[in-house]
Amino acid sequence: MRQSPHALAKGGIGAPEKAGMKKIADSIKTHYQTPVTIISFFILWQVSVMLFSVREFILPSPLTAILRLLVPQPNANYHWFVHIKATLIEVFLSFIVTAAVGILIAILISWSKRIRDLLLPFFVFVNSLPIIAVAPIFLLWMGYGIATNILIAFLVSFFPIVINTATGMGEVDEDLLDLVRYLKANQWQIFIKIRFPNALPYIFSGLKISSTMCVVGAIVGEFLASDKGLGYIIINSQFSLDTPAIFAALILVSLIGFLLFGLVSLIENLLMPWYDPGKEKM
Amino acid sequence: MVFMKKIFRLIKVHYHKPLLVFALLTLWQLLVMLFQVKEYIIPSPLSVLARIFVPEMAGKYHWLKHIYATFIEIFFGFAITAILGVFLAILISWSRLLKGIITPLLTFFNSIPKIAMAPLFILWFGYGIIPNILIAFLIAFFPVVINTVTGLNAVEEELLELVRYMNARKWQVFLKIRLPNSLPYIFSGLKISTTLCVVGAIVGEFIASTKGLGFLLKDSQAAIDTPPMFAGLLLISVLGLGLFGIISLCAKALMPWQKAE
Repeated sequence: MRQSPHALAKGGIGAPEKAGMKKIADSIKTHYQTPVTIISFFILWQVSVMLFSVREFILPSPLTAILRLLVPQPNANYHWFVHIKATLIEVFLSFIVTAAVGILIAILISWSKRIRDLLLPFFVFVNSLPIIAVAPIFLLWMGYGIATNILIAFLVSFFPIVINTATGMGEVDEDLLDLVRYLKANQWQIFIKIRFPNALPYIFSGLKISSTMCVVGAIVGEFLASDKGLGYIIINSQFSLDTPAIFAALILVSLIGFLLFGLVSLIENLLMPWYDPGKEKM
Repeated sequence: MVFMKKIFRLIKVHYHKPLLVFALLTLWQLLVMLFQVKEYIIPSPLSVLARIFVPEMAGKYHWLKHIYATFIEIFFGFAITAILGVFLAILISWSRLLKGIITPLLTFFNSIPKIAMAPLFILWFGYGIIPNILIAFLIAFFPVVINTVTGLNAVEEELLELVRYMNARKWQVFLKIRLPNSLPYIFSGLKISTTLCVVGAIVGEFIASTKGLGFLLKDSQAAIDTPPMFAGLLLISVLGLGLFGIISLCAKALMPWQKAE
């Protein structure tokens, strides 16, 4: 960093560092509420369960749920890793398929304005239907297993990506298009240099929605019929009234969701360092 | 005369949509007939409709019972969602303290896949209509709250300053500025929730139930009876779209100044 002598004389070297510290302090000041509230919520839960001695099968304390994960049970073996692996595979594979197919289809339908205007309302319409209800039909066609659950997850998460990407491709500054048309840009160049970069924020917000939907799809698929996966554990523990195991599985499901969401956000930051998604909210 | 003209214009703009749907259905019907696809794999649209409308075939499915159960679940799930959701949002935007406590929890719970909690409700309440209403409520609740809070806060600062200058009270600001301003946000939240309510009710029925369209879907899957599954899907979609339509009508009636999307 270039410092003017004047600033040096006034102890300017320390200043940037101080500003950095202040920034961190400020950000702690504005964001401390979230973790504090969530942690106090869990502490409150733990204390009230202990205080009122609530039975474990009705509402276990958070600690019991976590212990169910870490301590081997005498009368039930959960093989957590088998189930975590099954759900992880379903969620991640379906997400990758959704992202690839969704973005590709959106690009294809955006190639011509007429096709886009014809198909996009149709996609929006289908997206407003409760798609998860088709899950039993896929079970009937394919039998149960990981492939079926991947397909269910794909179906529920597919439409947000297509709609978002196609919307982003269409929302291009008309003046900019006129300019490059005047400069004799071809369709391909317009796509690579203008439409696609412009659509990136839309694509990522679609991907974020879909990351949650993939988890939902995989879990509901496992609810309906499966022999492994965290959804299977939840359903099975419901039958055996092993509530702590349900909560333990819920923690894991949430973690998988956070992991995928975090990965998408990370890639978003890497690909679009100029874009701040927080700026568009409120 | 003006009215007729309006209708003609509507038909002119939108005629291709029903036409497209009709063409697709006809294509489906023809393909199934041409390739003699077995009914348990893909039934033709006509055989699906026959399961609903031809009394001899529809009798064994007890459609009315299932439609009624699902309708009640969606209806109450949505009513509780709308009332509690808007109420909680008003509380949050009214009090700083509540906002500080509730907002982080809201964000946290909104980000976990809530549908995974459905079996818990079955465990707590036994199966029946009530847990399904609660599941529908649980997943549909958050969009309403978040949208309403956003709307209540998205008020022009200048407008607020103006009425402050005129010594408006907090509740006056609320009733005359914040609430009307948030109406579009509330309704867009409610529209998202209609679909989610249907999803919640159906998934609840998938997990454990003895009636409802979700139960019928799962039951028919076990019996490898595909046509009623498609019929069930159709009815579920109609229920969802019906609720969506009612909400859109309410939005139009309450906010005549708002342009339709």
